[in-house]
Amino acid sequence: MIADLGYAAVLLAFAVAVYAAVASAYGAYKNDDRWVESARNSTVIILPLLLLASGLLVTLLLLGDFSVDYVWQVSSREMPTYLKVTALWGGQAGGLLFWNLLLAAFTAAAMLRNWDNQRELMPYALLVGAMTQIFFLGLVAFVENPFARIAGGVIPADGRGLNPLLRHPGMIIHPPMLYLGFTGLTIPYTFAMAALISGKLDDTWIRTTRRWTLVAWLFLSLGLILGGRWAYDVLGWGGYWAWDPVENASFIPWLAGTAFLHSVMIQEKRNMFKVWNMVLVILTYLLVIYGTFIVRSGVISSVHSFAQSAVGPLFFGFLAIMTVFSAYWLLRRRDELSSPNRLESLFSREAAFLLNNFVFMGVLVATFWGTNYPIISELFTGEKVTVGPPFYNRVNGPLFAVLLLLMGVAPLTMWYRSSAERIGMALRWPALAALAVAGVLYFAFDVNSWGALLGMWIVTVSLLLTILEFWKGIRARMKRGEAPWSALSNLMARNRRRYGGYWIHIGVLVMAFGIIGSYFFQQETQIRLRQGESVSLGSYEMTFQGVRQFPGPDDLLIKEASLAITDNGRSVGELTPRTELYTRSGQPMTIPSLRSTIGEDFYVIMVNWETVTSNEATFRLYLNPLINWVWAGGFIFIFGTLIAAWPDPADEKVTAAARARRRAKARPAYGD
Amino acid sequence: MTDTTWTTEKAQGVQPRSNRLKFIVGGVLIVAALIFLIVNAMSGNTQLYKTVDEFYGEQSRLVGRDLRVSGLVVGDSIKFEQIDATTSRLEFDIVDDLNNPGQRLHIVAMNEPIPDLLQHEAQALVEGHATEDGVFHANAGGLFLKCPTRYEEAAPEA
Repeated sequence: MIADLGYAAVLLAFAVAVYAAVASAYGAYKNDDRWVESARNSTVIILPLLLLASGLLVTLLLLGDFSVDYVWQVSSREMPTYLKVTALWGGQAGGLLFWNLLLAAFTAAAMLRNWDNQRELMPYALLVGAMTQIFFLGLVAFVENPFARIAGGVIPADGRGLNPLLRHPGMIIHPPMLYLGFTGLTIPYTFAMAALISGKLDDTWIRTTRRWTLVAWLFLSLGLILGGRWAYDVLGWGGYWAWDPVENASFIPWLAGTAFLHSVMIQEKRNMFKVWNMVLVILTYLLVIYGTFIVRSGVISSVHSFAQSAVGPLFFGFLAIMTVFSAYWLLRRRDELSSPNRLESLFSREAAFLLNNFVFMGVLVATFWGTNYPIISELFTGEKVTVGPPFYNRVNGPLFAVLLLLMGVAPLTMWYRSSAERIGMALRWPALAALAVAGVLYFAFDVNSWGALLGMWIVTVSLLLTILEFWKGIRARMKRGEAPWSALSNLMARNRRRYGGYWIHIGVLVMAFGIIGSYFFQQETQIRLRQGESVSLGSYEMTFQGVRQFPGPDDLLIKEASLAITDNGRSVGELTPRTELYTRSGQPMTIPSLRSTIGEDFYVIMVNWETVTSNEATFRLYLNPLINWVWAGGFIFIFGTLIAAWPDPADEKVTAAARARRRAKARPAYGD
Repeated sequence: MTDTTWTTEKAQGVQPRSNRLKFIVGGVLIVAALIFLIVNAMSGNTQLYKTVDEFYGEQSRLVGRDLRVSGLVVGDSIKFEQIDATTSRLEFDIVDDLNNPGQRLHIVAMNEPIPDLLQHEAQALVEGHATEDGVFHANAGGLFLKCPTRYEEAAPEA
């Protein structure tokens, strides 16, 4: 009964989306506002319908109604309530429903918010938005129905439950974040296409959508960072990023979106690169669809297991349709998008942004190439060939280095043109200071890898230059009598995007510091110890004191080792790596124990402990230098994005004024 | 005051042509650098991807080459042996289809921890190479068990 109601809500939402597309197209064609308004109302109504459907699916999960196939697959009786709720996105079908819910929320919010100030774009925005929704709702309605009954008609007594490895906060928040990022990135596309179709090609669509882009990008970034953190905490290999196809599938759209967030500034300032910005928005959207396709179809073998599902060809078809659709309108409006302005100098802000975009595209192309190489190679040689992490590191390492350097140097350039000497002057002291830092690393810390030294030099240069940007702004304000602290906060409040952007840069540089450290200098060893024996790694020494075994909550059986740790001979406490065995399912879970400091993580997992010879156990030890800088940088990054995306009172006023104007102007019955 | 008016006649006249050339040269250099980076990184970092049956289909050709094999773990074949303090050996067999097992591929991984997900029916991806005796030796860190992100299996037989 509940399942039927839920499925009915999904079907209705699909029908409403089809109606919204038809009504908006017809309204645009006839220039009849009533149809457009009707399309808007339908677009908005999809949200409560999907809220109902999702609510009903959650109800089924909470009730443990195992006659529903999806409920049986992702939940079980003994699961705690919060996990039953989050099981909504624990599998393919429910995940797609949840995806649709978020898409509907973004679409409805964007349409309502921009209804007054983007009226001319609206019919087409509604149409394009509905096209995306029709596809994804169609998948849930006709291919991956989360309300489908279990085959065979016999209702199982209990469900299969959620894998213990996924019972981690990072894993619970990570998929919704990625979904929010992905669905949010469809909004800029919707308005960009609306601008193309309507021919209203000034930059209002960019102003309308840039905050949506930033918000979506924030969630996508957060999703990527959380995924890395989960892998580090749970998977026990001491790493956080493996260039796995599924990771790449969310990283590739992120790259396109990041390139767009940069190049959009050229259009705002100089009214240039309009075609290119369109290309980037379209590319970002297509890559979102492609990323979802990779993740959902199982077309490329990945460490993440996803269903070999029927959705593959459908995605491919949709991708093809949207590519042709986008390309057609872009080509048709090409001439109207051309700019009278030209790049004037290689040393200009425009050129710096252009280089930034080139390099981002480089990372994108290389990552895309590597991810799809199994398909490409099979197509041409008949043999599947995969490329591993070393490929990505060798290509993207140098490209990232260029990006990191640009982060510091690009803000020194000026629009139109700036002199090389001026940039050189500004660069001189930070470059020398960074050289000193590299020297200290080389002589005092025995850092003798040229890659790492160069990386650290670049990070330091850019960090200093970025801090100097803040300092210049603060000093100018202090000269006008402001106190240092209020100078900083006024500076940031006045120009949120710029200084939010700089904070993001600082976050990335801090992350880069951590990534360089943990990539170049990770140490690991695996050893069996008898009780009382010791092993040392780096400045740490660890003594095995024994293992105790005890039952945990529910069906858990816990084995926990006790390790006394000293750092440079000084006792720093005990580490307790453990394995937890879910006895019912037989699934073990290795829980690392780590001593985490600002300089490094000393990370231990227990590999094996034999009950027969209970005085012996095998451990794997990792020393991950600077790894906490990765997470700290992640926090700064998110902080910066929040500053940049935070609603600007000045902008709000403009929107409110537009709304008031529109209300004051008695609305004509048909169109404007 | 603002830098926006700072456009000279010269910039619009003669300069654009030479500028355009500079930008084209720059662009070509960047593209060339990218192609070089990709080609350079590809060499030595690729593996043929094979299923168990594919492997046995051309075993003689594949012996010694860098491979990535994929298969399902046979649960009762998993063995972990600590040989001495610093040497351990993890062994298990993989097959293409558990219900209809053809030939088994025997995997040996030295000094690797036992992945939590290494269980019966789990899908394993292993990077390494095969020797003449048909044993497949995993590279260090070359053992991947599929993350249980999704469970999609047929309902139990009634």
